[in-house]
Amino acid sequence: MEGIADSRILIPPRTKSRRAQAVVEQGIKAFFGGNALVAVIVLALITIFLFREGFGFFGQNLSNLRLYRQAGLEYVDIIRGVASRHEALSRNLSEIRLSEVRAAQKRNAPLEEINAALAPFDRFASAFSDTADNLHGIVSDLTEQASELKEQLFARAELLAQRSQLERSGAATAAEKIVVPEIDRAAALTRLREGSANFESVSAEMTAKLYNLLAEAPPLPDPAGQKAFEQWKTRTREYLAGLPAASEKLRTWSPDAPIPWYRSISSFLFGREWVTASFWQDWYGIIPLLVGSILVSIVALFFAVPLGIASAIYVSEIASAHEKRLIKPYIEFISAIPSVVLGFFGIAVVGQAVRAASQSSLLKWISFFPISERLNIFTAGCLLGFMAVPTIFTLAEDALRNVPRGFKEASYALGANRLQTIGRVLVPASLSGIVSAVLLGLGRVIGETMVVLLCAGNRIAIPDFTQGLGAVFQPVHTMTGIIAQEMGEVVRGSTHYRALFMVGLVLFTITLAINYLAQKLVARYRMSIG
Amino acid sequence: MVATLEMPETTSPTIVNQPEQVPKAEIERAMIEIEQLDFAYGAHQVLHGVNLNIPARAVTAFIGPSGCGKTTLLRCLNRMNDLIDSARITQGAIRIEGVDINAPGVDVVDLRRRVGMVFQKSNPFPKSIYDNVAYGLRIAGITKRSLIDEAVEKSLRSAALWEEVKDRLHVSGYGLSGGQQQRLCIARALAVEPEIVLMDEPCSALDPIATAKVEELIRQLKEQYTIVIVTHNMQQAGRCSDHTAFFYLGRLIEFDQTAKIFSNPAQRQTEEYITGRFG
Repeated sequence: MEGIADSRILIPPRTKSRRAQAVVEQGIKAFFGGNALVAVIVLALITIFLFREGFGFFGQNLSNLRLYRQAGLEYVDIIRGVASRHEALSRNLSEIRLSEVRAAQKRNAPLEEINAALAPFDRFASAFSDTADNLHGIVSDLTEQASELKEQLFARAELLAQRSQLERSGAATAAEKIVVPEIDRAAALTRLREGSANFESVSAEMTAKLYNLLAEAPPLPDPAGQKAFEQWKTRTREYLAGLPAASEKLRTWSPDAPIPWYRSISSFLFGREWVTASFWQDWYGIIPLLVGSILVSIVALFFAVPLGIASAIYVSEIASAHEKRLIKPYIEFISAIPSVVLGFFGIAVVGQAVRAASQSSLLKWISFFPISERLNIFTAGCLLGFMAVPTIFTLAEDALRNVPRGFKEASYALGANRLQTIGRVLVPASLSGIVSAVLLGLGRVIGETMVVLLCAGNRIAIPDFTQGLGAVFQPVHTMTGIIAQEMGEVVRGSTHYRALFMVGLVLFTITLAINYLAQKLVARYRMSIG
Repeated sequence: MVATLEMPETTSPTIVNQPEQVPKAEIERAMIEIEQLDFAYGAHQVLHGVNLNIPARAVTAFIGPSGCGKTTLLRCLNRMNDLIDSARITQGAIRIEGVDINAPGVDVVDLRRRVGMVFQKSNPFPKSIYDNVAYGLRIAGITKRSLIDEAVEKSLRSAALWEEVKDRLHVSGYGLSGGQQQRLCIARALAVEPEIVLMDEPCSALDPIATAKVEELIRQLKEQYTIVIVTHNMQQAGRCSDHTAFFYLGRLIEFDQTAKIFSNPAQRQTEEYITGRFG
C-alpha cells in the first residue's frame, strides 16, 4: 500500500487542458493513419498503373498479328517452315555422323579410316542438303518482298495514327500536311504469290530427288548408327508426304482472313516464342520465360526446402541454447547479402565449379555431362535456393516453436524418442505452417531478379526436355530477368513495352496467388493449434 | 515450470524451516521410494531432502501451496525434467521397485512406458481419437492392426470413454469436450500399460461434473495402477486418495493416510494449510 501512495507523489497530476489532450490524440491518429494510408494508396497506384500499361498490349498485339497476315509474312512462313524442316533433317544427318565417328573412335580406329568408311554417307548428306537449294532461293526472295510490304504498311499505319491524333487535338492544318502514301497491297501480294508459284514445281522436283536418294542410301558401319539412320529415313518420308499439305495451305491462304481477338491473348499466354526487335515478325509468347522461371524455382526449392526445414527442426528441437544463439542469426544473416553479390559469386564460383565438376572423369557416366554452359538453370537455382533458406527457415522454425509444449511433453511421456516426437507430432502439428513457409520461399524465389539475370544464362528458349534431367543444365531466361533486361531499352508505349508489363502482371498474379495461399494455410494452422 | 517456482508472497510468520522430522506412514509395499532427494533448477534449489515411500495400487496425493515443488517431484518420477536444461537432481535417489531410475544404465524410454503421465491441461494430439490412443503403441513399434484395435478399446473402456466415442473413433480428438479430452489423455497414457500413472492437477481445467467423472475413474484405476496425483483441491485429495503428502517450500512436511491428515494432522503447518489459513 505504501508503494502506491509513493507513486502518487512521483507522478504529478495532469495539468493539460482537455482540448490540448484531444489535439494530441488526433495528431497521433493522423500521423499513424496517414502512414498507413500512403502505403495503401501507393500499392493501389502500382496496381492500377500495371494494369493500365499492360492491358494496352492486347490491342497492339492483335494489330501486330493482323499485320503479320496482311503483309503476307504468314504466307512466307509456310514455305519457310518447309525449308527449315529440311534443314533440321540435314542437321540430324550430321548428328548421326558425329555419333558414328565417336563409336569408331571407341574402337580406336584411325581418323583416315573412319573418314573413308563414311565417305558414301557424306556424299549422301551433301546431296540431301543440296536438294533444298531452290527452296531456300524462293524463301529468301519472298522474305525480302514481304518484309518490304510490312514496312510500308507499318509506316502507313503510323502516319494514319499521327494524323488522326492531330485531328482529334484540333490541329486540322497540320493533319492535312501529313501525306499518307497509298499502298497497292493487292499488287504486292499478287507478286508474292507469283514468286511462290513455282513452289509446287520445286517441291515436286525435290520430292523426286529425295525419293531417289533414299533408295540408294548407303549403309552405315555401326549398328546403332544404322538404326538412327533408319529412323531418320522414316522421318524424311513423313516429311515428303507432308509436302502436298503445305502446298494446299498456300493455295487456300488468304491475306484477309480475320484474326479473332482472343488470338492476341492466347498467342501471349501459350506462345512458345519470345522474339523482339526482329526485322521479320515479333512474337510475344510468355511460355519460354514462364518455363524458365518455374524450372529455376523448382531447382531452388529442391535445395532450399530440405536445408531450411532441417535446420529449423535442428534449431527448434535439438540444438542447445548456445547453438541456437549462434545458428539462428547466422542463417537469418543470409538474407542480408545483396543479391547482386550472390550473382557475382554464382558466375565466378558456382557456375565455374559446376562446369568443372561436369568435366571430371568421375561423372562421365551421366549422359548429359559434360555441360557446355556455365550459366544455366542449375547455377541460378542453387543460388536462389540459398537465398530462400532464411525465409523458409525462419517461418518453419516459428511454426515448430509454436507447437504447444503439451504435445511434446505428452509424446515424450509416452516413451517416444526425439525422432519420433519430431516426425509424428511436431512436424504434423506444424505442417501447414511449414508448407506456407515453403510457399513464401517460392514467392521469394520466383520474384528474385538479379541472380537469375546474372546466372541463368539468358537464352530465350524452352529447354530441350528430351535430355531429361539434362534440361536443368541449359540456359534459360526468366520473367523477372526479361523485364529487368529489356525494360530499359524499349520505346515507351510500344507493343514490346506493353508486353513486358504483361509479363510483370503475370508475375504479380503468381506471387499474389502464392502469398494468398500461404496466408490461408497459416490461418488454418493457427486454428488447428487453437 | 519456472513461473511456478516463485515463493508464495503471504508467508505466514509463524512458519520457519523445520528440521527433518517427517513421520513415515505405515506402508505395506512401497512402489516408489524417494530418498533424501534434492533438486535444483540451476542455482535455485526447489526440493530439499524429500523422503517418501509411495505405496503400490493406491492413490497418493501431493498437496501444498503453489511453488512448493510437488509438480517438480512428480516430474522427477518419469524423468520429464530431463527436458529442461540445467534442471537436475543434486542429491538423493528415486527407486521404482528397487531400481534407481537415474542410474546410467536405465533406459528413459522404458521408464516412461512404465510410468505414464496425465497433464494439467488436456493435450490430445491433433489427430483422431483412435490415433491418439494408438500413439504410444505405434511408437513402441507395434504395427499389428488387431492388437492396436484391442488395446485402444481396452484403454478407452478403462478411461470410461468408450461408450461416448465408440462411433466416432476416427474424428479429431479436439471435437471432444474438455472432460472427455482429459479422459482421452488418460486412455492414451493407459494404452501402453504402465504400472504407475502420474497425474498433474488433472481436473484443474474441468467443470465439477467432468471432475466427478475423472475422480470416479481414478478410484477405479487404483485397482490396477499405482497413482500419484498432484492437486490444489483439498476436497479432491480427500475424496480420492488413500495417502496424502503435504509439501511446503520444497520440503515434505507430512505424509500419512489421507483420513489421518485431514482429521488429525501431526503438524501445525499441515493443519493451517488444510483449514485454509494460508496457501
